[in-house]
Amino acid sequence: MQYGMIIDIDKCVGCHACTIACKAEWEVPAQFGRNWVHRLGPAMTSAGMAYTFYPGLCNHCDKPSCVDVCPADPVTMEFKDSKSGKSVTMEVAATWKDPFNGTVQIDKKRCLGCGACADACPYGARYVNPDLADDNSEGKADKCTYCMPRVGEGLQPACVQTCLAGARIFGDLSDANSDVAKYVKKGAKGMTSKAVQIGPNSRYFGSKKADLELLFAAAPQEMPEANLRRNMLARMMKPAMKSVTNIGLAGLAGTLLVKSLEDDDK
Amino acid sequence: MNLTRRNFLKTASIAAASVPLSKVVAKAETTVAKAPLIPMGSFKDTKTVTGGICEMCFWRCQLVGKVRDGALMKLEGNPKSIDNGQAICARGNAGVKLLYDPDRLKYPMKNVGKRGAPKWQKISWDEALDTCAKKLNAVVDKYGAQGLAIFPHGASAKYPMHYFERVVGTPNVSEASFFQCRGIRDTAYLSGFGTTPGEHVDMANAKVIFGLGCHFGENIHVSHTKRYLKGLENGAKLVIVDPRYSASAGKSDIWVQIKPSTDTAMLLAMMNYLIESGKYDKKFVEEHGEGFDEFKAGIKEWTLDKAAKECDIPAAQIKEVADLLAANAPNVSIHPGRHVSWYGNDFQRERALACLTGLLGAIGVPGGFVKPKGPGGVKGKSWAHVEHEHPAMNIREELDIYPFTPPGTPTDLIRKAAVEGKPYPIKGCVAWGQNPIQTVPNQKMTIDMLMQMDFVMCVDVMPTDITMYADILLPEASYLERFDYIKKGTQWNYADKHEQFISARMPLVDPLFERKDGVWITNELAKRMGHEKLIPVKNQQEAVNIALKGAGLSIDKLKAENGIHVQPGKDPYGISEDFTISFNSEEVADAGFPGVPTYIPVEKPPQGFMRLLYGRAPVHTFNRTMNNVWLNAAMPENPVWVNDKMAAKLGLKEGDRVSLVNQDGVKSRNTTSVKVTPGIRDDAVYLYHGYGTMNPLMTVGHNQGIDDQALITKLAVDPETGAHGMRNNFVKIVKA
Repeated sequence: MQYGMIIDIDKCVGCHACTIACKAEWEVPAQFGRNWVHRLGPAMTSAGMAYTFYPGLCNHCDKPSCVDVCPADPVTMEFKDSKSGKSVTMEVAATWKDPFNGTVQIDKKRCLGCGACADACPYGARYVNPDLADDNSEGKADKCTYCMPRVGEGLQPACVQTCLAGARIFGDLSDANSDVAKYVKKGAKGMTSKAVQIGPNSRYFGSKKADLELLFAAAPQEMPEANLRRNMLARMMKPAMKSVTNIGLAGLAGTLLVKSLEDDDK
Repeated sequence: MNLTRRNFLKTASIAAASVPLSKVVAKAETTVAKAPLIPMGSFKDTKTVTGGICEMCFWRCQLVGKVRDGALMKLEGNPKSIDNGQAICARGNAGVKLLYDPDRLKYPMKNVGKRGAPKWQKISWDEALDTCAKKLNAVVDKYGAQGLAIFPHGASAKYPMHYFERVVGTPNVSEASFFQCRGIRDTAYLSGFGTTPGEHVDMANAKVIFGLGCHFGENIHVSHTKRYLKGLENGAKLVIVDPRYSASAGKSDIWVQIKPSTDTAMLLAMMNYLIESGKYDKKFVEEHGEGFDEFKAGIKEWTLDKAAKECDIPAAQIKEVADLLAANAPNVSIHPGRHVSWYGNDFQRERALACLTGLLGAIGVPGGFVKPKGPGGVKGKSWAHVEHEHPAMNIREELDIYPFTPPGTPTDLIRKAAVEGKPYPIKGCVAWGQNPIQTVPNQKMTIDMLMQMDFVMCVDVMPTDITMYADILLPEASYLERFDYIKKGTQWNYADKHEQFISARMPLVDPLFERKDGVWITNELAKRMGHEKLIPVKNQQEAVNIALKGAGLSIDKLKAENGIHVQPGKDPYGISEDFTISFNSEEVADAGFPGVPTYIPVEKPPQGFMRLLYGRAPVHTFNRTMNNVWLNAAMPENPVWVNDKMAAKLGLKEGDRVSLVNQDGVKSRNTTSVKVTPGIRDDAVYLYHGYGTMNPLMTVGHNQGIDDQALITKLAVDPETGAHGMRNNFVKIVKA
């Protein structure tokens, strides 16, 4: 099973309701968003003038670049398939791809708020919410969950429910009879480019060449540069963040880290 | 995010130096407590409260509230709705942030500073109402009821408006929804069709949708937009006439990039072509038309070529549009528009749209102009007319002008009288939910009007520009905290099973602080002004129950039906035998105006200037939503659209910061960014309306973006209606 979402840009009128419904449902701070609408154009394309919209959200990718960079201590987690009753045990950090429904999720309790995952996402689908800082972090990574808690109750994702255009369709891409799979057959595509091929499962459908050209020009053109040093340093910080009693150990590393990052920004 | 991470690391470093870890202080954006680590969502452990009716705009969708521990968590469309359904727009979703906006008016307040530079002092309701009654009565005693001006807007303002108009007796009542928006459309169609059109075109079942300046998608009214999209889904061709490549133009089959202000010329040429080539609905015209011969003769001069030249579009395109409509007639939607007060030649344009609809026989048929049927029975009770011994003088009637005025008095007549003291002084002002400063052209004159008043009283939910000029400012319960509006109608798509609905606005939560509903405020004021015996309803619940009674309903019954009563409906199609469309209106001609729709050219931009056009942002309803943190974050300012070639000529790049200066030398108070696009003509620029409020008490919206209204200093009064065209102002772009 692989949950996915279709955005039908023929229908989307660019009203932004999806972004606000999501904010209300999940108490997302005003300055952040688990999803977005970018207004594209009016601009000239090879097929004439176009004015369209890029309603974006987490792509719950097949090969998510955000998962492996998480420096949090791995824990053993058991995943259950609600349909078959099968279960799988995996070692996961504070973010992972669910082996059964294909969604990418975050354990906020264990998130360090380091932002490595947000950096690694070429779509900018994650943010770090500083309002959620606790003793172990200065914030928590957050993003679209495909509204799994709502779906678990038999509801549609909040953005889908509020869409007046019926431009958002949610379902199981691996079920050939689902509406989303039918859209894929009709040509719905993820926002990929030559350099960004990580299997996005939010897919876009449109029938106008000009709109599609404008839309896909907005796809990320490169993978974020993996800042290995930053990630490594974030890992080094982890013990300090986990326990205040151990804080002394991180002193030297912490100071060096800040200095080197300040140098980065120069 | 970089900043966040750096902070994280810095904090770690500081922690290492044995300083306790400090938490980032959560921004207190609402009265709601800090978000939990794992948000609970709106669907579990919440109470679903029904009976909500939105008023983030004036389409008024049906809502339910998700309430947890007495706090509203989320708004959703009422699943029982056959109008908006479970869908609501961005603004509707953001109602929660209006409800809990910390900038909202909380208590009655007295201005102990100056008008325009107020200092607010919290006072009791008794003191506030006593003061208002005393001051308003003083104006009436000295100048008569005509000494009062009333500016109402919104569902809750009807009741006080009736009080001041019918009981106190002032004719100086001006609603922005008429004089700066749709009034012209309504009276023009009345003179053509004998009925006001609303936006009742059956787009869902049309083969062609024709929109003149319609920007669906940027202008969002949920069930209306659903009809439009259903039509497109069903294969309707879309024709959009607009100088700008709007959201609707983006979905169009034909975009007519017309020169602003010349629309009527295009319509006349289309109609002349249809008549000359015999492509109009002869049977319909014969059966229902009057004055057709005069009409035919009157528009004969409008050849395709003549219009092409005037409108700066190809003659072939005008023909193409006319042919497309004729080929698909009568199943075509000729949209009457909504905000139509553009150039001061608007009554004639709206008449032309009505005539085009008739020429195509597009009335009472699938896809055409079709009014919904029912439901009946709902009848509200409000203040009864009081016969006054010396009725106040109605300025418009006295001057014998603007015979096709919408209800009320044209705003500028009131303002001019106030500023000049002629024909009589106007010294008391009540603004109830309206912000004339961002509505009426020429802000300075509006402010002059306010400054010369003996007393200014404002009632609103939020601070706005005009509340800065109040002497007494009263906090009203929002649409989520009160009973008032009865929303009724039919299923949104006429092709579906015919059903009717009736719903009434009910509070989803109780009002906080000292906010009160409009019925209470009006009644308390009326008591103090000496009209206690005339009070028509005790309270808001009684008002709603009386209105519902005629339909066999009540608040309790509606609650038992989850907020919406649905009953079998009627087929809306068909046309009465005596339906008449006046191609030449003798009524209009007798009043001294062209009876046959006529194109009246307006002023062109002076050398070096571009025409200022404006419109709706999908996430905002004018100034009313500018302080909403979610909506502000979605579109914090209004970039000025500049044609790409013109931008290159002017040395402007995408994102440049600029001010605008108009033909009268008025400069925008704020700056905005430039949006460079081929999607606008080079003789015009475009802004979203409602930005740049001057009230610092709107801490989120204050000075964000450019206030287009500040640049609209020149009035273009529509001679038939007295309504205000606002697109005859011209601007230059100045780099900031």
